[in-house]
Amino acid sequence: MDSVASALRWRRIFLIVGAILAAYALLAPLTSTDFAQSINVPLLADKLWFRIATYIVMFIVLATAWNIIGGITGYAAFGNVAFFGIGAYTTGMLIAKAHWPFLLALPLAPVLASLFAVLVGLPLLRLRGHYFAVASLGVGVALGELVQNIDYNGTPVFGGASGLFLPIYSIDNRGLYFFYLMCAAAAIAMGVTWWVLRSRFGYGLIAIRENEEAAAVLGVNTTAFKVAAFALAAALTGLAGGIFSQWNVFINQDNVFSIEYNVQMILMALLGGTGTVFGPAAGAVLLQLLIQFLGGSLPISIELPFVSTNARPIVAQIILGLLLIAVVIFIPRGVIDFFGGRTRLSWSYLRRSLRETSL
Amino acid sequence: MTDFVQLVILGLLAGGVYVAVGVGFGLVWGVLNIVNLAHGALVIIGGYLTWLLFTTFHLDPFLTLPLDAVALFLLGYALQRGVINRVIRAPLLFTFLLTFGLTLVIVNVLLLVFGSDFRSVTPSYAGASLEFGRVVVPYVRLASLVVAIGLAAGLAFMLNRTRTGLAIQAIAADREAAQLVGIDLRHAYAVTYGLGAACAGVAGGLIAMIQAITPTAGQPYTLQAFVVVILGGLGRVSATVVGGLVFGLVEVFGQSIPGSGSVFTNAIAFGLMVIVLVTRPQGLMGRLH
Repeated sequence: MDSVASALRWRRIFLIVGAILAAYALLAPLTSTDFAQSINVPLLADKLWFRIATYIVMFIVLATAWNIIGGITGYAAFGNVAFFGIGAYTTGMLIAKAHWPFLLALPLAPVLASLFAVLVGLPLLRLRGHYFAVASLGVGVALGELVQNIDYNGTPVFGGASGLFLPIYSIDNRGLYFFYLMCAAAAIAMGVTWWVLRSRFGYGLIAIRENEEAAAVLGVNTTAFKVAAFALAAALTGLAGGIFSQWNVFINQDNVFSIEYNVQMILMALLGGTGTVFGPAAGAVLLQLLIQFLGGSLPISIELPFVSTNARPIVAQIILGLLLIAVVIFIPRGVIDFFGGRTRLSWSYLRRSLRETSL
Repeated sequence: MTDFVQLVILGLLAGGVYVAVGVGFGLVWGVLNIVNLAHGALVIIGGYLTWLLFTTFHLDPFLTLPLDAVALFLLGYALQRGVINRVIRAPLLFTFLLTFGLTLVIVNVLLLVFGSDFRSVTPSYAGASLEFGRVVVPYVRLASLVVAIGLAAGLAFMLNRTRTGLAIQAIAADREAAQLVGIDLRHAYAVTYGLGAACAGVAGGLIAMIQAITPTAGQPYTLQAFVVVILGGLGRVSATVVGGLVFGLVEVFGQSIPGSGSVFTNAIAFGLMVIVLVTRPQGLMGRLH
């Protein structure tokens, strides 16, 4: 009785705090940055922070999209960054080389990304476990390499090693525009997840995650379902890539085919809680804030003792690695467990999750 | 014709490194069911050890290899016992992420200690080569192929002829049954990972003689080890040897295609891997269980 009451209280607190934060994040940018600076609204007075906020929302899209194939379907996709890259280069090429308007070029990003997902998904999704994970990782790596190196008559088709530059999108309040565009993509991603979890399609995917043979026996067309889930994740990831290309104005192998994005989106989903609607988003906000904080790009910052400015990014990576290890060992079900009110963070919880998976 | 012979020889020699990288990776994967994303990072630790011993004590790089193996065995044993054993029964994604976290830590600690400069090991005989007519066989590469084959043979001998090796094979076959007959799983797992790390250390020593290394130079080797193990077939050392040599040949012939240059190595490797996985999942040499 008592535990139920406290669980409900925690849940309510979590929802209220989350709603306030979301409302602040969404509405605060409406006041112009100049105005925010004049009355010194926390965080917003800094234009860099505004950029970081857009970046965080982008990772909400990536983590939520990964959750559809990795969390709900249970296929450990390790190469989703390929779809991000395809989306970015589709929109980027159409704008930079074919001079399409941005809003016309953007819808093609998810279309091409999901077409590619169907194409590689048909052979790759026949593989299971480690094989699928590394094969998808290979697709991401190989694609980045191809995009950077394909030449036609001696000139690089996709901008080559120096990357692809886009014309700057001329619109008032550009930062605001792209922030809300990215928020719209995040809303679509979470809406799609919400729908998937309540549809026949979603039940089929969960059945595949729990036991693929049994799902097939029950009449789930496993190949079609898996490929559809892969393509759906690809479309959402590609959409984020398309927005990123015009927002960032410059794309190359490092910023759209980065293996670290793969790991980050998975860690975010895992941290927040896979298979849920809001878990990956919560994980994305937490982890990305932490990464930016450790990297020293947040307005609020601390000096790390014994660490010179030069070594700081390196030490930040080490802390990130240790955190990754700690999360995997101690919080295998994600932090949303605590906020959802089902469990409390305690020593016995940590000990139990350790005992469940250790030898 | 001589060009063809030269390419075949260069391919086999290039394969030597892949054999060395592949056997340790394959052992850990086959027995512990871990795709060890930290393998490349362990390789580079071996490379830096060789570099350190060569530059400070002027030790012949080939003599540093046993030291690499011992040091990496101890590190690997400790990592498995202290960290990886804790998630060994979790879903595969967790060991994936855990070993990636280890990579982040190792690579960045190396960056702190050694910086990002290129380091290379150049003994007096570095540029020497044997010549048969127009066919050239670089010395160091030939020696590293011999070392790699020796490493694989030693590992195979250990697995098939010693009590520890048989215990490791028993675990790979059936973990519960192995425990029932009195095998200490925690220790045996740690020994297996330690052996994998020792092979990585030797591979790293060889790589330091062949290319300049940086802390991040190991990452491609993780992916290539995976491809090598898939090519040959998981579960046997000899299959990994074949996989490594085939991979070396594919790489060298791929680079010799006019216009492709050396830039599509990964694309070719992964294309090959996907084809093998889809058409012959047990690998070139593997048997279906």
